[in-house]
Amino acid sequence: MLELHGVSKRFGETLAVDKVSFTCQRGELVGIIGRSGAGKSTLLRMINRLTDPTDGRITWDGQDVGHLKGRPLRQWRRRCAMIFQQFNLCPRLDVITNVLVGVVAERPLASSLVKFFPAADRARAILELDALDMAHAALQRAGTLSGGQQQRVAIARAMLQEPDLVLADEPVASLDPVNADVVMDALQKICRERNVPVIVNLHSLEIARRYCTRIVAMSKGAIVFDGPPVALTQAVLDRVYAGRTTPDNATTFSIVEAA
Amino acid sequence: MTPEIYARALKVAPEALRPGLSRRLTNWGLVALCGLAFVAMCVDLELAPESFLLGLGKLARFIAISMPPSDGGDLPRIVSALAETFAMALAGTVIAALVALPLGILGAKTVVRQPVLHFAFRRSLDWFRGVPALVWALILVSAFGLGPFGGVIALALADIPSLAKLFSEAIENADEKPIDGVRAAGTPPLLALRYGLAPQVIPVMASQVLFFLESNFRNAAVLGIVGAGGIGFELEERIRIFAFDQVAFIVGLYMICVAGLDTVSQWLRQRLA
Amino acid sequence: MSELSPAVVAFETLRRRTLRRQRMQSLAGLLIFSALLLLSFQRSQFFSSDIGGDPLGRIGDFLNRMVPDLKGDALFADRRTDGSLAWWFYDLPRWLRLGWQTVEMAVVATVLGAIGALLASFLCARNLMPIPAVRFTVRRTLEAIRTLPDLILALMLVAAFGVGPLAGVITLAISTMGSLGKLFSEVNEEVDPRQLEAMRASGAGYAAMIRYGVVPQVLPNYTSYALIRLEGNLAGAAALGIVGAGGIGIELQRAITYTEFDTYLAILLLIVGMIFLIDIASEAIRHRLIGLGEAR
Repeated sequence: MLELHGVSKRFGETLAVDKVSFTCQRGELVGIIGRSGAGKSTLLRMINRLTDPTDGRITWDGQDVGHLKGRPLRQWRRRCAMIFQQFNLCPRLDVITNVLVGVVAERPLASSLVKFFPAADRARAILELDALDMAHAALQRAGTLSGGQQQRVAIARAMLQEPDLVLADEPVASLDPVNADVVMDALQKICRERNVPVIVNLHSLEIARRYCTRIVAMSKGAIVFDGPPVALTQAVLDRVYAGRTTPDNATTFSIVEAA
Repeated sequence: MTPEIYARALKVAPEALRPGLSRRLTNWGLVALCGLAFVAMCVDLELAPESFLLGLGKLARFIAISMPPSDGGDLPRIVSALAETFAMALAGTVIAALVALPLGILGAKTVVRQPVLHFAFRRSLDWFRGVPALVWALILVSAFGLGPFGGVIALALADIPSLAKLFSEAIENADEKPIDGVRAAGTPPLLALRYGLAPQVIPVMASQVLFFLESNFRNAAVLGIVGAGGIGFELEERIRIFAFDQVAFIVGLYMICVAGLDTVSQWLRQRLA
Repeated sequence: MSELSPAVVAFETLRRRTLRRQRMQSLAGLLIFSALLLLSFQRSQFFSSDIGGDPLGRIGDFLNRMVPDLKGDALFADRRTDGSLAWWFYDLPRWLRLGWQTVEMAVVATVLGAIGALLASFLCARNLMPIPAVRFTVRRTLEAIRTLPDLILALMLVAAFGVGPLAGVITLAISTMGSLGKLFSEVNEEVDPRQLEAMRASGAGYAAMIRYGVVPQVLPNYTSYALIRLEGNLAGAAALGIVGAGGIGIELQRAITYTEFDTYLAILLLIVGMIFLIDIASEAIRHRLIGLGEAR
């Protein structure tokens, strides 16, 4: 179980994340919504510890992970896989190597330096890729793939980490609707079949409502709503997207509501 | 355009039709000043037309001598000098790359994050960036004796600052996202560089080194003039005795080699991209 | 592992094949490269013993000879006092005079070369020169000039025009024409045809089109390329004196003839300072030009 207690992040003068507290259970698919600049990305990056929190406690199963350093920190990162908006693959490496990066942390340094991976690792990587229908491209350079394909490779990498927790920072914001569904389906499947919590930052309200078991809304770094999708009323949305006349998906949203 | 229309337009926008006299004067004054400075420099350099014509006449005679080109019965020696020139270029480039690599890493803003230190380091590299290889070769040959060794060091010295700067820029321009992606999987720093940074940076660096190899093959041809071996020495010897038929032969052969090396290097660089 | 899935088996087969090919290629590349490298180092007498072992010791000794014996207490004394700065830079007025000559050579050669390049660039730009044979010839000539190192050209021109700056200026002007000609013609080909069309539509003649359609578009680029080239020419001019083509290089040659290594360092520092100053000036002008270009 992931727990955040009063987690804050300050960049110079600006407060990016303001005393955020929430808990996340196994099997939950949590969607975090909010305007850009609301602190969603910073929040996820703090959980994975790519960014260090300024204040507050982050714990996993009661163990503090907010102040880890060195090896324990890297072990935590391996357990909490991260998926990015821009996929963050190495475009010049082939797909299978990009996936195998998921196990590099556990293998001996010397063999990893020369890109050597045991056959068992390779087989696991291929199976993860195959589950996402990407095994055919295993020896292609990642840079030659389309955005949707790259994101599936990134998910395969995350899966190879055998994570206890999956974080996805705007995983579908750079994708077309069809690929967005493929990626979201994959995340949902991970959440159900492997029973790990998945936390997804989302731009699209419609996708959040369709996939998430729970929605957290952020505004100016603070949580302004935390509950099931059905509880997300227009009044709440007005607060989340305050200052903007309509949210991106206002039309889709009302259609979904009508249905 | 009738005078009437002109008068009306002049009222609306006088500046547009008649730029201020002072501005036109400054513009023409500046042009005249530049022209005058140019002429003064030519006079100061004693660039006399008669010596130019005289030289042109001599040049025409040289060109007449150079047809047809001839190897002067020294083909093996010429080929071996060409090989030596290439050897100097390759050795110099490799040494320069090996020295420039650590310097380039230290010079990258993303590695040394202290701004004052970064600025000082980059500026100190800048100082010797302009010094031509020949200037280094002159003193190195005098220090290490005749032969290609001084030439190799000279080529390396001339390249190191520029190459280090290019390496630094390659590292600075690398995309951070792949590195983030690798780090997020709990990979230790060294391996994060191996999988996130190296694949981006190494091809760029390799293609820059190839560029320097091309340019060093040109520079190495010159170093023989000061006794650093290679084709330059053979050329100077023959120009001294006005054997321009042999000069033409050597220059022609050399230019073919340059074109050949450029083609190979271009092919390699394309494969790297 | 007998229960391997078909996807894994397919991948492993493909991987083995790809890997074998890649390894063969890398091995061949590595072999060629190391053979070339080994031959090169051998050929350039890098590890040869007859120039004496201990290369590091020799380099140290050499550096030691290059650095002058300055004495702290006599630093600002006159040039007859050993160890003063004036003693180190004992011929400073002459060096400054030659340094200025070097700058003049670079400027004059850049101007002449740029004019030549301008003519050549119009002759080889696809949108301005309709006859392909002319374009081809001019292009090949420029290419040939770029292949030939400056100093080789200078050697020949010194033989023809005699020792002095004339040969140096012609050398630099020709090589400037080679490099700028290519850059200028690229600039010409990037001229926005829509502006020309608009002018033609309003009935402008050829001269007016060049003056008001082409020149404003290309002038900032031309100037900034020419200024970059000026920086390069200054360094080039400094070296030309070594072969007798004028400028400060002659003093470098002289210092070596008399094995005055500390004098060499003094002149070298002057050259470096000179290049540095011109770089700064040219960069300032170029930045202003780019600003102007955007304002247009």
